[in-house]
Amino acid sequence: MPRLLIVEDDDRIRLSLKLALEDEGYTVKDVPTAEEGLVEHKATPADLVLVDLMLPGMDGFDCIRSLRRLGDVPIVVVSARDDTHDVVAALEAGADDYVVKPVAVKELSARLRALRRRASGSGEDAPKVLRFGEIELRPEAGEVLLGEQEVHLTRTEFRLLCELADQSGRVLSRQQLLDRVWGYDVYGDERLVDVHMGRLRRKVERDPANPTHLVTVRGLGYKLAP
Amino acid sequence: MRVLGLRARITAVFAFGALVLSVALAFATYELTRTSLLDERERAAIRTAYFDASFIRTGLGGEDPDIVAALRNLDTGEARRPLVRREGQWFARSADNGLTGSIPASLQQLVEDGTPAVQRVPLRDSSALVVGVPLRTVDAAYYEISPLTELHRTLSVLSQALGGVALATTVAGAVVGWLVSRRVLSPLTSVAQAAGTIASGDWSARVARDRDPDLDKLAVSFNRMVDEVSARSESDRRFAADVSHELRSPLQTLSAATSVLDRRRDALDDRTAAAVDLLTDEVARFESLVSDLLELAKSDRPAERRPTDVVTLTRALATSKQLSPDIVQVDGDAEVLDVDPRRYEQILANLIDNANKHGGGVVRIGLSVAHDRLELEVDDEGAGVPLDERDLVFDRFARGRAASMRGGSEGTGLGLALVAQHVQAHLGTVEVLDRPGGGARFRVVLPGASA
Repeated sequence: MPRLLIVEDDDRIRLSLKLALEDEGYTVKDVPTAEEGLVEHKATPADLVLVDLMLPGMDGFDCIRSLRRLGDVPIVVVSARDDTHDVVAALEAGADDYVVKPVAVKELSARLRALRRRASGSGEDAPKVLRFGEIELRPEAGEVLLGEQEVHLTRTEFRLLCELADQSGRVLSRQQLLDRVWGYDVYGDERLVDVHMGRLRRKVERDPANPTHLVTVRGLGYKLAP
Repeated sequence: MRVLGLRARITAVFAFGALVLSVALAFATYELTRTSLLDERERAAIRTAYFDASFIRTGLGGEDPDIVAALRNLDTGEARRPLVRREGQWFARSADNGLTGSIPASLQQLVEDGTPAVQRVPLRDSSALVVGVPLRTVDAAYYEISPLTELHRTLSVLSQALGGVALATTVAGAVVGWLVSRRVLSPLTSVAQAAGTIASGDWSARVARDRDPDLDKLAVSFNRMVDEVSARSESDRRFAADVSHELRSPLQTLSAATSVLDRRRDALDDRTAAAVDLLTDEVARFESLVSDLLELAKSDRPAERRPTDVVTLTRALATSKQLSPDIVQVDGDAEVLDVDPRRYEQILANLIDNANKHGGGVVRIGLSVAHDRLELEVDDEGAGVPLDERDLVFDRFARGRAASMRGGSEGTGLGLALVAQHVQAHLGTVEVLDRPGGGARFRVVLPGASA
């Protein structure tokens, strides 16, 4: 069973989420502070982490950054704040997804499933190595190289790159990317795509401000140019 | 009747004033000039007539004088026509040409009676001066006709010149009026612009201060009004947001706890299961109510426009709302428009939800995108919206009469209010019409710059 770590200071929310997500088939460990969450994750790494932003002591943003330094565990923010500022800051800190309270358990569970899914678009007949200029993508191995250098991507960044590579040269709208990477069947938050695209560019583009491969198509979305 | 704008009226008043003034001046000038020119001309005519008369008198001095020869010897230039009347007979240099007929009988009578006289008479298409001088010593009368053609030509040139000046003055008056009104109305224009910006949700708009103390008052009081209204609106907004925000945490607990109950619904007895169903439904409605309230609290912010493929977005949303693809009918010559994609989605989503809840389902979504605007129509097959409710449906917590009669408690009552706010943020319009064939048609028009 996938291990889920909940970092949430409100006891009632923490308990209700624990009960509900245990019903969804997760083994849940819940802690009230970021510090305890980090200790817990170091001791027994979780498969997924839910983090609240407003925490006593170390706040949610720092918690996300610390978790990110430890590895690429998928992190979902569950916050009552929905200002663009908070959403972007949390995603920039390294969160994979952002949901606003109150979130229905069904939807949260769908988000978590999407994050745990392996990179798609790499079926049996998919090529082992894809090249886009200096970028070398190995979907099976889960590796990306820029020139000779291996680039470390989070799971979400890697899936974003794989989806674009799968449709190489074609434009994918933000909605399509939300659907394929984050599993949003209904319209979702396009800021997720933009922030992750920014992070991906900083890792695989020589000049992130003037991307040559991960290009924005005005009004339509993004595409991966060979 | 359309009332003329203040600016047009000021301009018209200036132009009219200039017209009256310049016409009066032109008229006076013309009259003065005409009178003095005529007087001078008359004096000159009399002077030469007397001179010529004395010459003729000398010519008629002897026995049986040759009057015609005397007339011919007279040096009268080209214009003047000398005539002599003696013993009831007219003498002239050449054939009469109707000249004698133009000398009025009253004038002749005066001269016959021994009084010199001068009169202006019409002559052909112009006029002429007739000077009559009695020649008592030779028992005759001398008449001299001086045409005023030259004078008329001068006066006609003068009147044209004056007319031109009057016209130019009027135009100049209109221009001055236009400029003055622009200066005077410029604070009004900037106030109107600021008010428009504020209406679209940007509370930061202010009117620039004016150097003129009279006009500055307007700017200062307008800005103070905006400050106060925006502070009040901001505190209302913050209150709504705070309340909704505080509701989020308990709602999260309710929502998660309810889902735990719902999962075990089948194991519960009927009464408990019914209670759990009620709880689940109401918690879901509560959730959407709070999220709509929060959305409403922040939707008075300006639209974040960016190039958006509205056609694809519309189709994707229709699909995600389980609508058949043929329901979406697209025309127009563009697909991408500068709109706020999040707000556009909510407009469409809420209109679809509204049609599903109150209108018996969506039968058509019409989208027409041009380079500078889009027109979105969502048709349903319900009872339509009565005329007197068409403005009310966009109010918060207003639900259709039909819905309340059904006792329907679906929806938050905020969907259409949100639509109206999102449309307003784009400076667009939304209205309810009758769908041809029954049902309601919600039409949204959003202006936007083409990508």
